[in-house]
Amino acid sequence: MTSSALDNLVRIGKLKAEPTTQEELDGLIRSGEVRLRDAENTALALESRFDLAYNAAHALSLAALRFHGYRSENRYLVFQALPHSVGLAAEQWRVLDIAHRKRNLAEYEGEVDVDEQLLDALLRVAREVEARVRALVA
Amino acid sequence: MGMSTPAAKPLADDGARRSIADALFTRTQQRVLGLVFGQPERDFAISEIIELVGGGSGAIQRELRRLVESGLVKTVEVHGRTRYQANDAAPIYDELRAIVQKTIGIPEQLREALRPAADKLPLAVLYGSVAAGAATAGSDVDVLLVSDELTLEEAFALLQPAEERLSRRISPTLYSRDELERRRAKGHPFLARVLASPHVVLIGDEDDLIGPR
Repeated sequence: MTSSALDNLVRIGKLKAEPTTQEELDGLIRSGEVRLRDAENTALALESRFDLAYNAAHALSLAALRFHGYRSENRYLVFQALPHSVGLAAEQWRVLDIAHRKRNLAEYEGEVDVDEQLLDALLRVAREVEARVRALVA
Repeated sequence: MGMSTPAAKPLADDGARRSIADALFTRTQQRVLGLVFGQPERDFAISEIIELVGGGSGAIQRELRRLVESGLVKTVEVHGRTRYQANDAAPIYDELRAIVQKTIGIPEQLREALRPAADKLPLAVLYGSVAAGAATAGSDVDVLLVSDELTLEEAFALLQPAEERLSRRISPTLYSRDELERRRAKGHPFLARVLASPHVVLIGDEDDLIGPR
């Protein structure tokens, strides 16, 4: 992994270096996977599934960052680090970028404008992050 | 930051935003440069330029003459007729081309980027501040894509080269045909906003966007 890119983010104050524990990693992965399975439940409303998938992606992405010994309170940065933390492709991380913006916009405009294509993409990317994080900690 | 120098007075900020292209070029200049430097590999007959650019032919001819006299545009004789082309020997050819492509040629860049998937894209529409000609340096390029085959990840991958060339973030919204239909039927606010504000149809036509009437 290109942890030098992550080190650079520490240097400019975007990330903090902080060692992790196995319990923390297990907890984050468990939390991510539980939400991801619920997000796949088609009986739920699109908006709820979107929230669950977004939070699943965040927990799993944070696990990847914590595995390398970094932390950030900023959700966007946790996603932005994915190409470095698990080698995620640009077009996959951009799905999280869009999801993050939609979610932020929803807090201002009071409406989440979620469509099925975005939810499907978010689920695919969250599963990909899940697999990559699993491979990291194995 | 020297403390002795008086702080520069900020210009009155009345909230007005002007596009970069509008700050640098007149409308006629934008149209002529957008065509000639937007497609620098092509040469154009004057009649083509007038047709493609639209607007008054006198203003376009004056603009073209200025560009030729300055050496930014060169003339070539083809079958005894004068054709015009961006002059790649001009000292600022590369810079002007880059400026034009970043500020004026966005729809063209997007069409080019989407072309490989055009058969899977019945409709692609540029909307938002770029389409309205009100983009500022930080504006995203907003694109609505309609496709039953493409995934959002594939759309990002397709648009990535254009994103790099434009140095602007492109934000695609992807709908299936069904989703477009559903939203149209419900008079969805997002779609209504796209329709009601300036937009540029990149692939497909306006009727595909408005739907059956």
